[in-house]
Formats: sequence, structure tokens, C-alpha cells
Amino acid sequence: MPRLPAALATTAALLASLAAAQPPAGEPAELKLASPAESKAEFDRAVSPFLARHCAACHNPKKAEGDLDLTTLDPDMKGSTSGARWAMVVEKLAGGEMPPKGRPEPPAADAAAVARWAHAEAKRAGRPFTRRAAYSNGNAVPHAALFDPKNVPPFDGGPRVRRLSPEIYAAFTGELAKGKSGIGQPFSPEGKSTFKDMGAPKVDEPVTVQLLQNALAIVEAQTNHKVEGDTVKGVGQIPKEFLALFDPKAPPTDAQIEAAVAHQFHTILKRPPTAEEKARFVAFAEKNIADAGQVVGARYALAAVLMLPEAVFRMEVGGGKQDAKGRVRLAPREIAFALSYGLTDKRPDAELLKAAATGELDTDAGVARQARRLLDDPKADKPRVLRFFREYFGYDAATEVFKDNKDFPEHDARVLVEDTDRLVLWVLEKDKDVLRELLTTNTSFVAYKTAADTKKKRAEALAKFEREKAANPEKFKDKKPPQVGRSVYEAYGLKDFPDAQPVELPADQRAGILTQPSWLVANSTSFDNHAIHRGKWVRERLLGNVVPDLPITVDAQLPDAPDKTLRERMNVTKEKFCWQCHQLMNDVGYPFEQYDHLGRFRTAEKVLDPEATAKNKDPKGKPLGPVLRGAPLDSSGLIAHVGDPALEGPVAGAVEFVKKLAASERVEQVFVRHAFRYWLGRNESPGDAASLQAARKAYRDGGGSMKALIAALVSSESFLYRVPTAK
Amino acid sequence: MSVDRRDALKTLGLSAGATFLTPILSRIEAQAAGAPVAAKRFVFVVESNGVRPEQLAPSGVKRNPRPQQALNGPEEFLDVPLRDKDLPVSLEPVKAWKDKVTIVQGLSGRVCGGGHSNNFQALGAFGGGRGNGGESTAILGETVDGALAKHLGGIFPHVGLGISKRLENNVIYNVSASGPNKGLPTMCNPANAYSTLFGIVADGAARQEFAAKNNLLDFLKDDIKKAGVAGAEKEQFGAYLETFETLRDRQSKLNEIKDTLRAKGPVVSDKYKSAVETDRLDAQFDLGAAALVCGLTNVLTLSSAAGVRDFDITFKGLGLTIDKHSIGHGGSFQGKTWSDLYNMIRRYHFELIAGLCRKLEKVPEGNGTMLDNTVIVYLSDGAEGHHSRCWEWPMVVIGDLGGKLKTGRYVDYPGYGRKGHRTTANMYLTLLHLAGAKRDTFGMPDPALKDLDQTGPLAELLA
Repeated sequence: MPRLPAALATTAALLASLAAAQPPAGEPAELKLASPAESKAEFDRAVSPFLARHCAACHNPKKAEGDLDLTTLDPDMKGSTSGARWAMVVEKLAGGEMPPKGRPEPPAADAAAVARWAHAEAKRAGRPFTRRAAYSNGNAVPHAALFDPKNVPPFDGGPRVRRLSPEIYAAFTGELAKGKSGIGQPFSPEGKSTFKDMGAPKVDEPVTVQLLQNALAIVEAQTNHKVEGDTVKGVGQIPKEFLALFDPKAPPTDAQIEAAVAHQFHTILKRPPTAEEKARFVAFAEKNIADAGQVVGARYALAAVLMLPEAVFRMEVGGGKQDAKGRVRLAPREIAFALSYGLTDKRPDAELLKAAATGELDTDAGVARQARRLLDDPKADKPRVLRFFREYFGYDAATEVFKDNKDFPEHDARVLVEDTDRLVLWVLEKDKDVLRELLTTNTSFVAYKTAADTKKKRAEALAKFEREKAANPEKFKDKKPPQVGRSVYEAYGLKDFPDAQPVELPADQRAGILTQPSWLVANSTSFDNHAIHRGKWVRERLLGNVVPDLPITVDAQLPDAPDKTLRERMNVTKEKFCWQCHQLMNDVGYPFEQYDHLGRFRTAEKVLDPEATAKNKDPKGKPLGPVLRGAPLDSSGLIAHVGDPALEGPVAGAVEFVKKLAASERVEQVFVRHAFRYWLGRNESPGDAASLQAARKAYRDGGGSMKALIAALVSSESFLYRVPTAK
Repeated sequence: MSVDRRDALKTLGLSAGATFLTPILSRIEAQAAGAPVAAKRFVFVVESNGVRPEQLAPSGVKRNPRPQQALNGPEEFLDVPLRDKDLPVSLEPVKAWKDKVTIVQGLSGRVCGGGHSNNFQALGAFGGGRGNGGESTAILGETVDGALAKHLGGIFPHVGLGISKRLENNVIYNVSASGPNKGLPTMCNPANAYSTLFGIVADGAARQEFAAKNNLLDFLKDDIKKAGVAGAEKEQFGAYLETFETLRDRQSKLNEIKDTLRAKGPVVSDKYKSAVETDRLDAQFDLGAAALVCGLTNVLTLSSAAGVRDFDITFKGLGLTIDKHSIGHGGSFQGKTWSDLYNMIRRYHFELIAGLCRKLEKVPEGNGTMLDNTVIVYLSDGAEGHHSRCWEWPMVVIGDLGGKLKTGRYVDYPGYGRKGHRTTANMYLTLLHLAGAKRDTFGMPDPALKDLDQTGPLAELLA
């Protein structure tokens, strides 16, 4: 593995988390600390002298550089809150960031011993370092720690509780509110993780306020009724259990409240209430009816079911006894929900709940069978699958990039995104060599939804133009005929909309999603290509490396120099400090300079011609505006700093570049890592190596089948088991 | 008590039903009892699409936009009293308070990414993070309104009201934040905002709803306490539980001031659900003023289509059919140039601000009025222009918070990089200083100004 730049400090944690996977020769694979005394002894032996020798000159009570005093940092991570600081210490050591330059470098074995103790102590404290990284940069775990079949560390994924995703919540309330408006989305993605539904954001007050508003609106729809004389009648399909609560003749009996609560539990939670729950809800409803009247009181009681933690959170805690490996399996009900949410956004269907009740989900094969059932069912809506590709490639962000209507009339990012969606589905229909196809196919849809309609509109607009021109030739003599939809087909390099879909684009110009206009626009600015973002995407999502965060002290702006090419303007990033990170992005972004910022294939880059602009004046000397010239195009790139010699080397242009990537085993593994992240809702850690390797094998054996990959992931050890946190 | 309150209102020569015209009685009572009045209020009015520096100069002062480069302005700090000057045309609606106005020019905010909008960065004075290069919606820290809200507290520590070009947008997040990745909501639907703030007095069923809501919150608090005692549930359920505790507490506080809310809450009109942008903004100013007058909040942010997705809003209510984005690109309309249109739209905003000032001025407080204890800051999330690069960030400050600011002035800070040059962060530090939350730094320092002192408040503005 070539030496990574020292500044890649965040890669770091990696070496540390490697302790279990790649022990130095002669060292135990994993240190286990059973007691505080054992930990203290190891600390005194391996850590304390190291800190005294290499760290304490600065991190002492007097100086406390970086607000860190290592002479007093509590080595007991269970009894104190020192864990986070120890994790940082390990990270800085492993990344070579500390001790700082100019100080003697500690022997690698000594630093490794410190890391080994810290990991073991963190585990003993029930706060393994790997879990800290569950939602930040997934690539921080080095590739080799996950795909080495000879080194498979034990699974250690902990129990999880997460609030519903915005999509799950929308599907849930949509089903319940029966089209009633006024249901607001309480949740928003956290935005820090690779995929939207990964973090564990906490519920805050505005969220609860919205949840409550929604719950009341839903219950109002569920219990819509009118009173005629002294009888209550449902408006729409209102269950009799609910209607009984609103009988004006008498307040509901205990039994009637119980029946209504049971019905609400079944509707919302898909299970009956326990005896205790029944009793609590009856008491609550009665008090509420006494305090707030029959209608309001009863409705608030039913709304409470929608606010129960079980209705707001996804429970993946596991139950039952720990097995020999220290794992507990998720309860069948938890599996049914997790599986269903994982594929469909919806709560489990009847068959899945039956599988949970009858023991089918007690075996991994049973889970896989149910997953395949859902994946193969053409009637089951599986928005999660397309969304994976949208989020992975990020092409749907094209609609977020503002292009000026004046300069680019008819630019329609929405159509470009629809086309790529359709392409993904087209590849998924065949379900063969999915990743390679997505990266290399020159097949494309071109305004597949709107082409025919747009052509019709264009003909109408053109006819209108000709009519008006004939009537008023003087006014129209300099006007050009309208070109409705032009920017869409031109983005694909076509002269008009195709008559049949999909079409084959020139194979030397286009290869896969990274050359689709949607992806190129998504990684562009209002006026220009964004080679850095493109490069960053390739670096992270295909090569699986870590690009450090932008240091907060950096003013990351390219110079405003319209007479220079983008590559020339990006020269500022070659300053040593910038280049540490930019060497990871620029060279793998440049091949896409083959296209302009609307995704059009080009052979020259248009830049301002200052001299010609200065001369561009009318006879009176009034400037007539900027003049552009075509600068020679350079779309060469370089694959380097990957950690895979098979892949590294120069590339000439986008098509060659993506084809090289598509042929790489590592790229396929990195893709599997991302699928893991998406379907597990967290980052992979070394303990997930077995699940990842099995998933990759299933993908391979299935001939590059996405269905096989997904089924393997959702029936994996990582999906189905939890290792409880030490109490 | 409400009879007494009405009597008290009458003695002030005000009608009991009149919205806004009435003081907070509890404060008057407190005052009568000799208790100190320590209210401090901050209002931010954030308009999209930039404030052009040349349009804020008073009569007799020539001010051009500064070049987009370092050392782009003079070395001297300019300080012109407004006393003998006419306010620029768009600020005329607030001329009655000219002695309370400070027009602040020459601050920069280069750490922000620029573009059509700086989103959270505008009030946060931080960078765009990974999305840098313009229009980033990253939330790298708290914004100044969020910071003030934390310090000042209140039944609603922060109230964000605004308009979006999209009618269906209910609650959006793009201006205010209480911390990294913690956006504060901007309520864009006045009708829903009303029910959040004043729902307790909305109609006859309110009392029942109020009781039922209390019971529900208590019930769920118990339930969650039982469920989330340990393990993986603890952290998530703990946060959920806390929200119920906060809401329950707020219910009690709202209940305490119910009479005030009933007496001084706004009267819901057709504007609250109007499709016309200016109607909704009128309604939001109405609501915002009432929230301040009723003591619901001390920090109010009014967003006029701020944020990256709304900058092409069209102010149809002003008779325009040209959107602000087109205006920003030099579009004209019915003989008015882009510059006229910018002024016209800003003037409309200052009419709303003037309305707010009037309402606050009518409420006695301490030895003066509520306006004396309020600072209103007007700025754009788009800094100095339609495509901002944040070399300048013009602002208008109204109010002196009981004489703590030296007002009635037009000030212009030295050019970018010159000695004495200051940033938006220093303006926000000034506000925090006024609120009693003194600190040295806010947001992120500008790395290109590392040789200058970027800490502390704007000393030139303090009395």
C-alpha cells in the first residue's frame, strides 16, 4: 500500500480500529480486559510510560496544549467520561499527527500498544470506538479490514433505536389520514452521513409538536362522525369501536374504551395491547373525558397511541438469550419491521407478520426467503431500491443546482433526473452486472416521459411563430424560432428527441451514470463544472478513500478569472497545504471536463477573450459584451493514492476512466460497502467483515444481481443480530 | 382579574379589545411594584437578494459598491450624523425614528460562501463547510438569533416567521440555528404559526383542548419514563421525554398569560391564508409584533423569502410580475429599472418595520416604551448583491436598547483588509454584548484577515 499523505488524519481511526484485524506479528490478536484492575495494570505497563515520554511535555497540567492534560486523563473509561478524549488520542497517534513534527517519533509497536489498550478499555466500558463512527465517515474503516477472508473479527454491532425515517413516516400517515391534508413532515435528514437514513438524530421539540399536531389530525379523520338526534353516525368508514366513544347518550364504558384502544393498537402498532397497557389507557381516557369532554377527551386518548415511543421509533434491540458468540437475535417482530422498512418504507404486510408469528423469521434462510418474496413481487412498491441509487450516485441533486434561465433556456433538470431514474430501473430489470452496467452503458433515456409531448408543443410554438412572422415580418426579422426542449436533447449530444427509447449514445462519448447529464449537472455550479465535487464523489464512493473535511480556516474559493480554464483556476489548490487533500479529488474529477456544466459533450472549453471583448464595441464606442474563445480541452486524469496498484495510473478522458473503474474488484467492494451502509442504516466496522464478504459473494454468484445483494444484506448477521452493550 | 385588567387598560386611554395598543399588564404591575424591567428584545428582518450598498447612503453621501477584492475601500472609518440628512428612499418609512437608526456599511462576511443566498451563514458568520463554493445550506454553528434566544430565554426562546415562494411550505429551515446542524424553524404559514403561538385562545374548544393536551403530555411523559430506562432506548427516549417536559412547561406558562394573549393576540384575517406573498408577510409581521407585545418571545426572526430556494419570489402584491431573481439580473418592469425595483421592494419592507416600531412604541415599558428595549436589524441573506461574494454586508439597525447604542448615524467601516475593518461577526458580537452575553468571538474568523483583530463588538457603535 503506497504511503498515504500524512495529512489524511481522519483516515486514522482506521489504523486504530485495525488493531483487531491486523495485529502486528507476535502481538495477541485482541486484548481483553476483564476488570478495572487488569486495565489499570496494562495502562501502567504500556500506556503511562509512553505518555510520559512522548506527550506530557505539552499535555501537562500547566501547559495543557489543546485543553488536554494527559497526566490526569482518567484511564477508567467506564467510570468517567474520558472515552471521547481517549478516542481522539488514539486517532492522533495513529494518523501520525501527534507527536508533532520535530519531536522524536515513538516506535510503532509502542503506539500500537497504547491503541490496543484504549480499544480494549473502551470495549470493557461498553463504548467501543467503532460505534462512535457509526454515522460519520464510513470509509474511515480501511478496506483491507473488511474484505480479507483470512481475518474476520467477531461481530460487535450494538442494539439500536432510531426514529422513523421521513419516508416511512409519510407512508404511515398517508395510509392513516386517508388523504386528509394538514399532515406535516416532522423529520428531516441529518445531512451528515453518506445516506439520508443513517444517523440517529434525536427528537427535538419542534418535531414533537409536529408529531402531536399530526396525531390529532389523523385521529380526527379516524373518528369523523356526526350526531343526529341522539345517535352518532360515522362520516366515511369509521370503525364501530371508535363510534361507541362518541355516543351522546352516555359516556363510554370501560369495555368500550378497551375495545377502541385495542383497535387503535392494532391499526398503529400492529399488535394487541398488553393487559397493563389496556388498564393505563382506560384510566387515561376516563380522566381525559372527565376533564375535556367526551369528544376531545376520547380523541386525545386515541392520539396518544400514535405518540408512543413504539410508534415513533424503530426498535432493533434484540431479545432473548445471548448465544455462544455473545449475540442476541432481533425478535421476530423487530425483524419483520426492519425488513419491511428496509425494502418498502411501509410497515410489514400480513404475510411478513405471519412469518414472524410462525417462526419463519427465526432462521436466516427464512428471512432471505421473505426478502426475495418482497423483491420479486412486481406489485410491491419498493421505493427504497431506486432511492439507494439516487443517494449513492447523487444525480437527483441536479434539480438543486440553479442554472440561469436567461443563459440556459429550457434547461430542465427534473427531466434529466427522470431519465437517469429510468436508466437505473432498466438496468435493475435485467438485474445482471448491475454496477458495471450502471458505470459503462452507453444506453440512455432522453426525456423519455416528455419527449413526445414536448415535440408536439414545439410544433405548435413553431407554427405560431411562423404565423406571427408572416403577419409582421419587420418585427420578426431578427427573431429566432423557439426551440422548445432543445437543451434536454442537446445535453445528450443529440440533434433532436429520439423516436424510440432507450437510445444508444456514441460509445466514445458516454459511459454510464457518471456521464449522464443529471450527474454532471448535480456536480456543477450555476455557471461552471465542479471538478472538485466530481473528484470527491469518485474518491469516496468508488475508490473508498477518505477525503478529509475542509479545514475551517480555509477560504475555499476559486479565483474569479473568466479568461482562464477551470483547470487553470484550480491551480490555486496546488499550494502545498491545499494539495494534501486536493490531490485526492482534482485528478479524478478532471476526466469529466469532457463535458460542460449542462452535461454536453465538448471538444473545447469556452473562456473569456479579454482582448476581443475590449475590441467588441459599436461605432460609438459602447461595449457590446463579452466575447468567448475556445480553449484547448484537457480531460486527462490520474488514479493515485488508492491503495490498489491494479487500478492506479493515468487515464485519458471520462469513458476510459469509468471503464477502468468498472472493471475493478475494489470498486465493486466499495459499492457493496455503500449498499451495506444504506440497508443497515449505519457504517460498516471490522466486525461486519463476515456480513460484507457474504454479501459480495452473493452479488458475484448471482452474476451481479442487486436482488441477491440486498437479500444477503438483510439476512446477514449484521442485520439480524446485536451484541448487547455491557451493563 | 380580567376585569381589573380591562379597567387598567381604560385608565391608559386604550380600548380593551384593541390589539397591540395595550401594554403587558403584568409588566406594568411589576413596574408599579418597583420591580426592574429588564426586557431586551431582538428582531431580525432578513430579505432575500442582497442589499446594494449604494442604495443605503443618505442624502449628500456618495457611496459606490466596493470592488470585489482586498483593500477595496478607504482607510478611514466614516461617521456621518443622520440628523441633517435625508434617509435613502427605501428607508423613508422609518424616518420618524431617524435618531434611532444606524446604517452600517463596510462590514464583510467573506467566510460565508456567497451566491444567491448564504442561508444559515448570513446570521451565523460561518463558512459553507463541504458545500462551499456558494449557497451551502450547511449549519456549522449557531446563528446570532439562536445564540440570543439561548441567552434570553422566554416561553418561545426563538420565533421564526417568514414567507416562502411556495405556498405549501409550512415550516422550513434556512436562516436560523441553535447550533451545528440544529436549524431553527421558520414558520411560513401564518395560520399555522398563529395556532402555534396563540392557539390557546383560538376558540371555544380551546379550554378543553388545553386540558386534554396537558393530560396527554403527562401520560406520555410517564409512559416514556417507563419504557426508556436503560440500554439503547435510554438516549433516544430521553431526548423524546425532554420534549414533552418542555411542552408541558410551556403549556403552563401560556396558561398563565392567557388573558394577555386573548387581549393582545392578533386578529386572524384573510391575509393569513392568502396566496399573495405580501399578504402573508404582512400577517407575519402582525403575528411577530403580537408575539413580542404579549411576551411570548424576545427574539424574532422575520424572513422574507430568505434561503436559496426562494430568491426568485415575485411580489405580486406590489403590482410586480417580475421575480426578484430577474430583477437581480438587471430586469426592469414598467419603466422602473432594477435599481428602482430593489428600492421599491425594500421600501415595502421598511413600511412593515415601521409598523412594528409603531406597535412597540405604543407599549409603555420601564421609563419608556417597548421600542426602547428592542433592537431591529435589517439585512439580506444575499449580503451585498444578487450574486453575493460578501465583500460587503450592508445592514440597518433600529433601536438603541435603552441608550446603549450610539444611533442616528451612517457609519462606513474601512475597506476589506484595512486597519479597523470589521466583519458581520463583530456586528453579532455587538448584539450579544448588548444582550449581556459578552464574548470575544462568534462564527468563524476570516482566514484572510488574520492580521486584523476580528474579536469583540463594534466599539464604534456602542454608547
